Amino acid sequence: MGRIAAVYDWLDERAAIRSLVRKGLYEAVPVRGAWFYTLGSATLVLILLQLVTGIFLTLLYVPSVTEAWASLNYLKQHDAFGSIVRGIHLWSAYILLFVIGLHMVRTFFSGSYKRPRELNWVTGVGLFVLVLGMAITGAFLPWDQAAYWTAVVVTNIPAYTPFIGSFIRALWRGGDFVGPITLSRTFGIHVWLIPAILFPLILAHLALLRKHGEFGSYINYRGAYRSREGVDVPPAPAERPIEPPYPAVPTDELWAAPLQTEDFFPFQTFKDGLVSVVLVIVVFALAVAIGAPLEAIADPSTTSYTPVPQWFFLPLDELLLLVPQQLIPLVLVLPTGGVLLLLALPFIDRSPERNPFERPAVMVPGAFAVLFVVILTLLGSGRLFNL
Amino acid sequence: MARDARRLSRRQFAFLGTQAVGAVVTLLLGIPIVGFILSPLFHRQQVVWRQVGDISGVPDRQPTKFEVSFPLGEWTNANVNLAVYVVKTNSNYLVFSNVCTHMQCPVRWQADLGQFLCPCHGGLYDISGKNIGGPPPKPLPQYVHRIDGTTLFIQNSFTESI
Amino acid sequence: MNALAVIWPALHRLASELPSSAPQGRNIIGAQIAIGSLFSIHILIAGLVSGAAELGPAIEFLGYMRQRRNYDRLAHGLGRFITLYFSVSSTIAILLITVLLVGFWGHFWTTIVTIAWWPLFIEAWTFVLQVSLAYLWYYTWDPLRGFKGVHMAIGGLLAIASFLQVYMIDVVASYMLTPTDPQNPIRLVLNPTSYPLTVHRTVGNLAYVGFVIGAFCAIRFLRARKPEDKVFYDWAGSFGLLWGISLTLLQPVVGYSYAKEIQLHAYSSWYKMMFGTLSPWFLWQITLLGIMFLTATLYFARRLRTNGARGAGLLKAMAVGLVLTTLLAAQPYHLGLTYDAVAGAGLNRPFWDGGLINPLGSMIPWKVLALMFYTLIAIAAVVWYLRGLPGVVWGAARRGEQRLLMLMAVLTILMMVTMGFIRENSRAPFLISGEMTIQGQQNVQPTVSPSPSGGG
Repeated sequence: MGRIAAVYDWLDERAAIRSLVRKGLYEAVPVRGAWFYTLGSATLVLILLQLVTGIFLTLLYVPSVTEAWASLNYLKQHDAFGSIVRGIHLWSAYILLFVIGLHMVRTFFSGSYKRPRELNWVTGVGLFVLVLGMAITGAFLPWDQAAYWTAVVVTNIPAYTPFIGSFIRALWRGGDFVGPITLSRTFGIHVWLIPAILFPLILAHLALLRKHGEFGSYINYRGAYRSREGVDVPPAPAERPIEPPYPAVPTDELWAAPLQTEDFFPFQTFKDGLVSVVLVIVVFALAVAIGAPLEAIADPSTTSYTPVPQWFFLPLDELLLLVPQQLIPLVLVLPTGGVLLLLALPFIDRSPERNPFERPAVMVPGAFAVLFVVILTLLGSGRLFNL
Repeated sequence: MARDARRLSRRQFAFLGTQAVGAVVTLLLGIPIVGFILSPLFHRQQVVWRQVGDISGVPDRQPTKFEVSFPLGEWTNANVNLAVYVVKTNSNYLVFSNVCTHMQCPVRWQADLGQFLCPCHGGLYDISGKNIGGPPPKPLPQYVHRIDGTTLFIQNSFTESI
Repeated sequence: MNALAVIWPALHRLASELPSSAPQGRNIIGAQIAIGSLFSIHILIAGLVSGAAELGPAIEFLGYMRQRRNYDRLAHGLGRFITLYFSVSSTIAILLITVLLVGFWGHFWTTIVTIAWWPLFIEAWTFVLQVSLAYLWYYTWDPLRGFKGVHMAIGGLLAIASFLQVYMIDVVASYMLTPTDPQNPIRLVLNPTSYPLTVHRTVGNLAYVGFVIGAFCAIRFLRARKPEDKVFYDWAGSFGLLWGISLTLLQPVVGYSYAKEIQLHAYSSWYKMMFGTLSPWFLWQITLLGIMFLTATLYFARRLRTNGARGAGLLKAMAVGLVLTTLLAAQPYHLGLTYDAVAGAGLNRPFWDGGLINPLGSMIPWKVLALMFYTLIAIAAVVWYLRGLPGVVWGAARRGEQRLLMLMAVLTILMMVTMGFIRENSRAPFLISGEMTIQGQQNVQPTVSPSPSGGG
């Protein structure tokens, strides 16, 4: 035991690992509601899964219109393990988007975007948009019928932007039609450009989390909280243990630090690990059982194929189906407006109240937005099954 | 030590120098990269004529599908098939593509409906290509074409851009 | 004058006019009137009961989370309502199904039961669940005060049973409009309009009960004597209206997609609603929706003004916006009796060409824009009212607000009856679109003959 301690001391003198370990493992985390906080780490695990499987897929995939489909078809026919890797890549992507949605809803409901965590929310929205971009660009790559028509329709969406629309489309497609340049550009965006922004942003998101501590939920502060109605809740105890990362000088007396905290390791890491491993097992099971489909090779001259959008595109596609052609630009403004509203949220809602049941002016429009998206997705899913 | 107000201090010089270097590097990198990203706007895609075939056998008011092979891009020898619908109405020929003007999904002729249908969002076009139902904002695009005797030739470009 | 001497001949005359056995499709007008009116009454009560069974447990849960007594009192009142009125609604339903539907349209009803056997079977059991849970939920309220979690679980199960019941009957109702392959149970349940109809009806039921709570509490407020009752009824009226309006705001989206599915799968019905004989009623419906949003916004503005809370001014501006967009939505496409009459008279030209066509009146894109706009304004009105609520002192409402609440309930009932009328008539003369007509019920008669083994 003495030798290990000696090695540890040697490393600590040179790389300051003791404080790193302490900061990483023994940070304070609120005690109650901890299962909800696992959604963030589940998102991280799934993104890392994507990174690893994606890197290994680049060892075989060729981003060329003549060879993309052939390389993946070869994988499908002759490489069972490679097919599983590709299946993991696909199903992990689908589940990742769903988990990100849950994570955003949880953060919205618990008011964790309020001061001083606004930047955390803003980087989070940026991450959401980038992951969505990854999902969209990744869908083009197999160059089968599904991928080709996804490419055609998705690159056509920006064309409805007034004035510059057809230029944006031409930039992405590399011309007026989808072709080899489209695939090369999209591959570069998917494999290099977006990840180069995504991973530093993830680090920033995590660093900000560490800086202010996990807010948690209002239930961790009950007791320090007196409701508007004067409901009998005991007032805050005079001496509250406030440990790092929670700021020693509270910005807001009531919501600065939770009443009770415990160590991140091993309590929260166990919960995080459990949820993540369940998700990974589900992804693995889906990858083995269903796998990643590969349809017939892209054929622009088809007159029998019905393109079907990816599930996360269903709300937008339902809107495109429901809305008459004069209003299409309005429909396409909705996602942009939605993202801008999300970014602006911490600056619109500046009240210190954290309890979701006590702030209906924010919860009602938020619930509307979520219900709107969910209902549109469910309405569109009928097309996935009625084919 | 008295300093002349017009002369730069060491600190100011280093500061300005860093900025200048940064600007030079940004320009050296930025101009080619931005130019590269914007290059598709300046380079017209290859437009060629290809023969479709003999259209004398096309029945009246019955869209007939042909498949024509065009070069896929300039750095590859591969070809891509494009679908062409030839419609004959009173010895007048219309040469449609199957690209929907809504979201560019593949349109197909539905004989039972007597209309072109886009399966993505239910867009409908009549036999003269006019958009009569659903979300499409413009009529079905036509290829630039010419007819030599009974042989049809088309270009891989539309008469009106969509 | 002997009353019997007058009544007896009249009865005798009536007896000779009435059929001796079930009419089975022979008296079409009579059938439509009887079934139509009883169905309307049934829907108006049953929708309220279903909505209360779903909304009540939700209010109880919210009250528990916010530690507010008045939520609990309101949920308790809803529970009482369910126990009182469930039997009324069920009795009408039984009368409808076992007597009227079988008697007038026996062939249709037998076909439906044969095709939709499992949905109807499941629905019967959801009724059993609903009744037992509703009574359990209401009567264990005080005994389970210390075990709120258990009580709320009972309420939650009640809400789920209620939703399932609505879903199952909607499978039947939607199948009538957009039939699919009857042999495939998945296609039967997932027929194109079953899901939009279920969401539309569930949201509608919840909104309906919210508005009825508003009206009921308005009446009670005006008659209350004790100050704590006045405080409660004032708050509950506003609360019911908030729920009602918030849910009604979802309806344009779901309703629009419902109409789209009808367009794709039952085109003649859709045409009748949008361009044909039912289009004036549809126009009335879109106007009525705008009036509903306007009434709610006026209530919000008045209620805030009564206590001098902030936000009343902007709400008045929103009311003006709502008036304008409702006027836009109310524009008829053509100003003649029917489009055929307009076309026949050669007047199918824009009005500036001397015709009767009103470009502002076509659904696309003007009415769609108006619909989106007044929905957005109404969402903003709800949010603004919520922001102003901390400045409100409950119990201090004036009579005007209460009258607006009562008006809301009347408008909602008008809306529901209009929609039922439109829906059923859009499918006419079919009972099952494309397959079975009302007239066709005459052609199938049950055989009533002596048994072959000889009766003696």
